[in-house]
Amino acid sequence: MTTLDTTPAAVAPGPRAATRAWRTLRSSRTATVGLAIVAVHVLIALLAPLLTSYDPIANDASHALLGPSADHWAGTDQYGRDVLARVLYGGRYALGVSVTATLVTVALGTVVGCAAALRGGWFDDVLGRILDAVLSIPSILALLVVVTALGTGPAVIVLAIAVSYVPQVARVVRGAALAVVPMDYVTAARARGESTWSILRREVLPNITDVVCVEFAMRASWVVLLISSLSFLGFGADPPTPDWGLMVAENRTAITVVPMASLAPIIALATLVVGLNLAADGLSKAWGVDRIREGL
Amino acid sequence: MTTSTPEGSPMHPIAPGDSPPPIVSVNSLSVAYRSGGRDVPVVHEVSLDVAKGRTLALVGESGSGKSTVAATLLGHLRHGSRITGGSVRVDGHDVFALPARELRRLRGGTVAMVGQNAGQALTPTMRIGRQIEEAGGTVPVADLLEQVRLPRPAELARRYPHELSGGQQQRVAIAMAIAARPKVLVLDEPTTGLDVVTQRGVLDLIAALRDELGLAAVLVSHDLGVVAHMADEVCVLKSGRVVETAATRQLFADPQDPYTKRLLASVPRLDDTGLAVVAESGEREVRPKVPVPEGSPVAVSAHDVTVDYGSSRAVDGVSFDVRRGEVVALVGESGSGKSTLAWTLAGLRTPSGGTMTHETGDLARPAHRRPLALRRRIQLVFQNADTSLNPRRSVGDAVRHPLRFFGTATGRTEATEQARRLITDVRLDPALAERLPAQLSGGQRQRIGIARALAGEPDVLIADEITTALDVSVQADVLRLLDDLRRERDLACLFISHDLAVVRGIADRVVVLRHGVVVEEGPTEAVFAAPGHPYTRQLMAAALEPDPDAQPYVDDTVDWADAADGDDIWTDPGDGGHRVRRWRSLNAPVAEGVS
Repeated sequence: MTTLDTTPAAVAPGPRAATRAWRTLRSSRTATVGLAIVAVHVLIALLAPLLTSYDPIANDASHALLGPSADHWAGTDQYGRDVLARVLYGGRYALGVSVTATLVTVALGTVVGCAAALRGGWFDDVLGRILDAVLSIPSILALLVVVTALGTGPAVIVLAIAVSYVPQVARVVRGAALAVVPMDYVTAARARGESTWSILRREVLPNITDVVCVEFAMRASWVVLLISSLSFLGFGADPPTPDWGLMVAENRTAITVVPMASLAPIIALATLVVGLNLAADGLSKAWGVDRIREGL
Repeated sequence: MTTSTPEGSPMHPIAPGDSPPPIVSVNSLSVAYRSGGRDVPVVHEVSLDVAKGRTLALVGESGSGKSTVAATLLGHLRHGSRITGGSVRVDGHDVFALPARELRRLRGGTVAMVGQNAGQALTPTMRIGRQIEEAGGTVPVADLLEQVRLPRPAELARRYPHELSGGQQQRVAIAMAIAARPKVLVLDEPTTGLDVVTQRGVLDLIAALRDELGLAAVLVSHDLGVVAHMADEVCVLKSGRVVETAATRQLFADPQDPYTKRLLASVPRLDDTGLAVVAESGEREVRPKVPVPEGSPVAVSAHDVTVDYGSSRAVDGVSFDVRRGEVVALVGESGSGKSTLAWTLAGLRTPSGGTMTHETGDLARPAHRRPLALRRRIQLVFQNADTSLNPRRSVGDAVRHPLRFFGTATGRTEATEQARRLITDVRLDPALAERLPAQLSGGQRQRIGIARALAGEPDVLIADEITTALDVSVQADVLRLLDDLRRERDLACLFISHDLAVVRGIADRVVVLRHGVVVEEGPTEAVFAAPGHPYTRQLMAAALEPDPDAQPYVDDTVDWADAADGDDIWTDPGDGGHRVRRWRSLNAPVAEGVS
């Protein structure tokens, strides 16, 4: 037979993946609001030097513990540092370390989770038990142990967070990947004798990106909180670095005198976490709907 | 178009002239769903009537709207869909005007549905008996189970769904449907996915119940054999429109619409000795098979292969050869080990015994331990085109990747070039290469699956039920493509199927498997002309032909037992390589061996 089967399918050539993702995002108000809040935080952190003329770490004893005024909108703390400036700069540490830590965690967790789903057998079993063991340790405890042993510093904190959160990410990703592994295109790749890594990258990962993205947004909010808790306990950022957790710790003794010095970083932290949570929620819903609507 | 109410066809119990009022009446029904801010019509002004005791079949290819129409009888619409015109009346009620409470009473009480996959319709954690009780009605569970011809009903009621076979599950689903003594039965592909023999049993049961209980039935099916066997009237749908409605016998004998003609002509028949070529007008011509060249080398050879899953043996001592340019069909019911055998050849399982060899090397090792040169020689095409392509990668990429991987093409541009050529080779427009699999039809996807398999320049192609999930007309095209390709490329092809009509059309030799054991093998013509083993005969008797006047199924196969013993395994009817595993009849103790 020689007929060329050229009948186009019912669907017109679809928009590119990026456009589609963007359109889905726009369709979810929750995700849009969440991502907008996060974007504002990122912008503020980047543009902090332009937004305030005060130095966040310069002491000025003559202006200590002032209430809000025209000069200092959020007042000053016990060393006379401008609270607003410290809040604006404070996002840099929180965001920088959190984003790095979350990236490392989610990347590692994804690879481990996919590999477990793909390999199966004893590999999956042994890995599962190890992850269970790590999961049973409270994350803040694991964090404190690592930090006490290896000293503070951003690199150590990233490592510590990875240790405590990778098992959780791996669990979720493994679950998502298990739905993809029995598909015939994975079997076809296996029959070609491709390596686990190449199957993971080409066949599995593109089909679970939605899960990974949602996981990223959700873990990011946990990590931000965890890092701030660490700073509050004195194991995170070193004074006088402007950091929200550290600011709350420094100023809680003076909370009755200058409440804004404690409240301002709390508000900043809360909005960032709420923004991340909204983004995570909205993304998961939007992508869930997206798959049905576009029949992918 | 309106279905004429039954004017008493001769084959029907209701006396001629007596034309009862329809119990189901669909009147110019239109259904649409919203997508991207506009209405997409799925059903367009469909009208039909079904009277008490009659069966109407809705026939069409996928996307014809047949299931949508059937579901409206229960007042069900898929999420996002709505009625844009017309009405559905069942037993005097306008289904879509009923309040929720009465609609619930209608479902089950007046109209009941039997779906495609009973295994998924039953709750896995609930005993059969309780599930049937929950379906409502006053008929005792044991009586219902007996009514659907299930053995030992009392014991069965205490079992869980997973302890039942597919056919038994479907019978339980039927029992649930008739529990509340409905007046109308909606059957949505009730036997798709069941083996021929099981299918025959379930269909006979449905027919018997329909007559016993005086049910009106609406049967949705893509299988014209099932329709010819079951329906009084047939309504052919295409893209949501009725193209033809007629009494079954009349439709099959003298189809009016060209689409119906083409549809009917595309169905493979058990007595076709080659593949059918169907013209636009519906003319049918059987293309004779081209004989395998004399002295063609053996491409792949299996000897005494055994595959175990844990302690259970899926394949037990199977031997066969496939020569270049030859199609060998592995036939059998599900669980006969035919797919296991295919996967073992492809290197996805390791055999626990026996030898498998290819011209260039040993096949006993899993794929990732075989040398690349050997791996590319044996390629697999999958049953389900929906899951065989990665939904996030373009189809061009799906073909390009193995080209690069196997080193058939070096460099990006050459791979792209060759991928386009392969896509043309499977009779597709190379412009489709940029599309995602979701943007292709099922048949197009299956062709891409074949193109991907060809990328390694194989000499053995394993086709695992590749046409099962396709519509008949598409199935015919894909089969012809496969037949052309094996000749053009001198491929050895292992064709796995449970559909005997398809096998007869394409295969040069047939191997019949049962419970992992070969019971009969030989040249296709010899096996079909004189099936020697009772199991083969049973398979052939159960196959449904698209002909309402076909012989009714009589299970005259004898009870038999395996009589293979030591080295004395085969009997040879003496027609060119045809051999039958020894068996003995249990009915008459004297009867022995060849029948």
